[in-house]
Amino acid sequence: MSTDGTSPKVLKLPEVLDLNAASRLHEQVLAHKGEDIDLDASEVSRVGAQCIQVLLAAAKSWRAEEQNFKVAPASDVFVKTLQLLGISDEALLPKEILK
Amino acid sequence: MDMNEIKEIFFQECEEQLAELESGLLRLNDGDTDPETVNAVFRAVHSIKGGAGAFGLDDLVSFAHVFETTLDCVRSNKLEASPDLLKVMLRSADVLADLTAASRDGGTVEASRTSGLVAELEAYAKGQPLPSASAPAAPAPKPEAAPEAPVAEAPAATDDSGFQPVPFSFDSIDGDDELAINAAASVFTVRFKPRSDLYAKGNEAVLILRELAKLGDLQVRCETDDLPSLDLLDPEGAYFSWLIRVETESDEEAIRQVFEFVEWDSTVEITAGADEEAFAAPDAMGEEQPMAAVPFDLSLLEDEPVVATETAAPEAAPAAQEPAQLAPANMPLAAKAIAAEAEKKEAAVPAVPAAPQTIRVDLDRVDRLINLVGELVINQAMLAQSVVENESGGSSAVNLGLEELQQLTREIQDSVMAIRAQPVKPVFQRMGRIVREIADMTGKSVKLVTEGENTEVDKTVIDKIAEPLTHMIRNAVDHGLEGPEKRTELGKNPEGILKLSAKHRSGRIVIEIADDGAGINRERVKAKAIENGLITPESNLSDEDIDNLIFHPGFSTADKISDISGRGVGMDVVKRSIQALGGRISITSKPGKGSVFTMSLPLTLAVLDGMVVTVADQTLVVPLTAIVETLQPEKSDIHSFGPSQRLIAIRDTFCPLVDVGNILNFRADLANPVDGVALLVESEGGGQRALMVDAIQGQRQVVIKSLEANYTNVPGIAAATILGDGRVALILDVDAVVTASRGQPLSPDMMLAATG
Repeated sequence: MSTDGTSPKVLKLPEVLDLNAASRLHEQVLAHKGEDIDLDASEVSRVGAQCIQVLLAAAKSWRAEEQNFKVAPASDVFVKTLQLLGISDEALLPKEILK
Repeated sequence: MDMNEIKEIFFQECEEQLAELESGLLRLNDGDTDPETVNAVFRAVHSIKGGAGAFGLDDLVSFAHVFETTLDCVRSNKLEASPDLLKVMLRSADVLADLTAASRDGGTVEASRTSGLVAELEAYAKGQPLPSASAPAAPAPKPEAAPEAPVAEAPAATDDSGFQPVPFSFDSIDGDDELAINAAASVFTVRFKPRSDLYAKGNEAVLILRELAKLGDLQVRCETDDLPSLDLLDPEGAYFSWLIRVETESDEEAIRQVFEFVEWDSTVEITAGADEEAFAAPDAMGEEQPMAAVPFDLSLLEDEPVVATETAAPEAAPAAQEPAQLAPANMPLAAKAIAAEAEKKEAAVPAVPAAPQTIRVDLDRVDRLINLVGELVINQAMLAQSVVENESGGSSAVNLGLEELQQLTREIQDSVMAIRAQPVKPVFQRMGRIVREIADMTGKSVKLVTEGENTEVDKTVIDKIAEPLTHMIRNAVDHGLEGPEKRTELGKNPEGILKLSAKHRSGRIVIEIADDGAGINRERVKAKAIENGLITPESNLSDEDIDNLIFHPGFSTADKISDISGRGVGMDVVKRSIQALGGRISITSKPGKGSVFTMSLPLTLAVLDGMVVTVADQTLVVPLTAIVETLQPEKSDIHSFGPSQRLIAIRDTFCPLVDVGNILNFRADLANPVDGVALLVESEGGGQRALMVDAIQGQRQVVIKSLEANYTNVPGIAAATILGDGRVALILDVDAVVTASRGQPLSPDMMLAATG
């Protein structure tokens, strides 16, 4: 993964990432394609499986293009939901949780 | 929404749950064996417990927990719902209601009541009911105000000694229980693949997994291989599927239920046993340990963080970090916190999703609306009248519009009234408790049978009948029914039957309280009446008259004033409060067979369909519900009878003619029947009378304005109303007038005694 020294873009995730938010999230993430990006999930209080699909697909795409993609900081709800769904992608979870 | 509002809603819901609980138990008591009934009862207690946990109402939680444990044994068919057990449960329901009330309004519930029942419930849960189920069998009075955790722990401790652990012990309070769960836990493997429809229908895989997590420990592996690259991805598609290992003490059915609402929109495969192979398969990401059980701190997954969780969450978090089952010597505090968390979560998920949609509205608002509609009705009538007066043609568009307006007003009024119409069920249910309590106190065995509890009546009427009804029920059990020995002696079933029924009859609600007891002891009533100077020994009274004596002020036949009914409030008070509602009460009694009290009440206290009539230049309104037919008397049909009585021949029968103007003292002499109109009415006591009035003006819906509230009670007049032209018209009390026509003058005293 390349870190070019330039500070990555930060995309702030909305509080509610449910079914209705999935399309918008998809567009937002796509818009940043090709550049390093940090997602701020600290405000997230509800997240559905479909948004996580989007995020996980994004993480994979970014990884394939060797761009930097990470979620930090993340709210407890965000982390717990990922755990509940059995998602353990390092790009989506803060490092210390994976230990 | 602040905490208090949330709490208020909780208590409102508690009331509904308690009602559900009681009706469920009563159905079981009647021999209903539908498992759904047991489930409903269980759910009710469970919901109360869950909510109470969220608000830290420990007394309520611990009692509900014990109750729930025993109910669960019934639910899982480990315990038979015997009559004795149901008795204990019904009393437990009462105590639960008291505890709820105490939590809401402050105050405490006697410790002996709760501890006694706790002991009994626990004994049942253990499968060793106490020898005397009805005796309060608290082994030793507990020092606490209510059973605290130690008491609640008791059933858990017994789990090891042969008795099966109970499902849902997930929220049990102590560490020992955790062990018991693990001992019986079984493992299932669930494959769950949602289709996009699942999400499109508003379901959410996260919620399903969360539900599943409540059943036990999960190991979840998400299969993400189907996930396309970001540009090809449909954000609303479904690509994830899950392989889940569930370790739970619930059965497969419980797991299936979690998926109940999504089974059509997903592929769900549940197999018993662990599919270690599937889990061992190389993980796509591969780098971490998929087998690590993740203890979920459910509270953090709340959709909307409940304020109450905040205080407990910090405690729960550290406890949740380590797998609970690896630490059997758990600090009780942490375990309790977890349990509390779980309950909070459960409280947030309604057990029955398909409830009809309702809103709670402050009664004041409805009342204001009803008042306004009442004014609207009067106004509309006035408008109609002035149009008629000012316009001779009468065929204009105005008239057409007026007619439509009238229909609309009428419809509005009906709809508004419907808002306030409520089934009498809650009141009837309260009576069940009163019967139980009094039966306990008097050592009688009574079965309350209710009928027509869905009969609807205006809320104001419901609120006001509870008290007289309570009193009559008390009387019926205390005085009416005999003790079990006496009943056996008489060849009756030792269990007395009290029947409470409600029905609609000609625009009124009729409530009957029938017992199969001894009936009214007329000899004693008469003797007592003579003693009290109500009648003279020479009075020659019919049986009916004697029965009605019990409605006289200050009359009580019980030899000794008992704790229950003889509180100085007699049937006269009952009668007066029913009359104040525009109702009547009557009694029929058969010695040895029992008595029937019949109350007849108006459906609403706000409006009345009436016939507007003229009597001696006065405008009166006769309630339409009383009128059977109207007719123009012929001279040949009128027959004199005695000095002042007249009869009218209607078809083949004779019917007494009642001169309304004369009875109300509108005129001194008798009117000529041929000049007037006769209204054939049916009076409450049965039998028809022809009321004679001068002319009929029309039929109208009138808004009732109480005379008593604004003036004073006038015999023969039920209430007043305002007519279209702004004048006040009196509403006739048909029964009072009919009674008065029997030769007794109208007087307030006679009103009380006579109309029954």
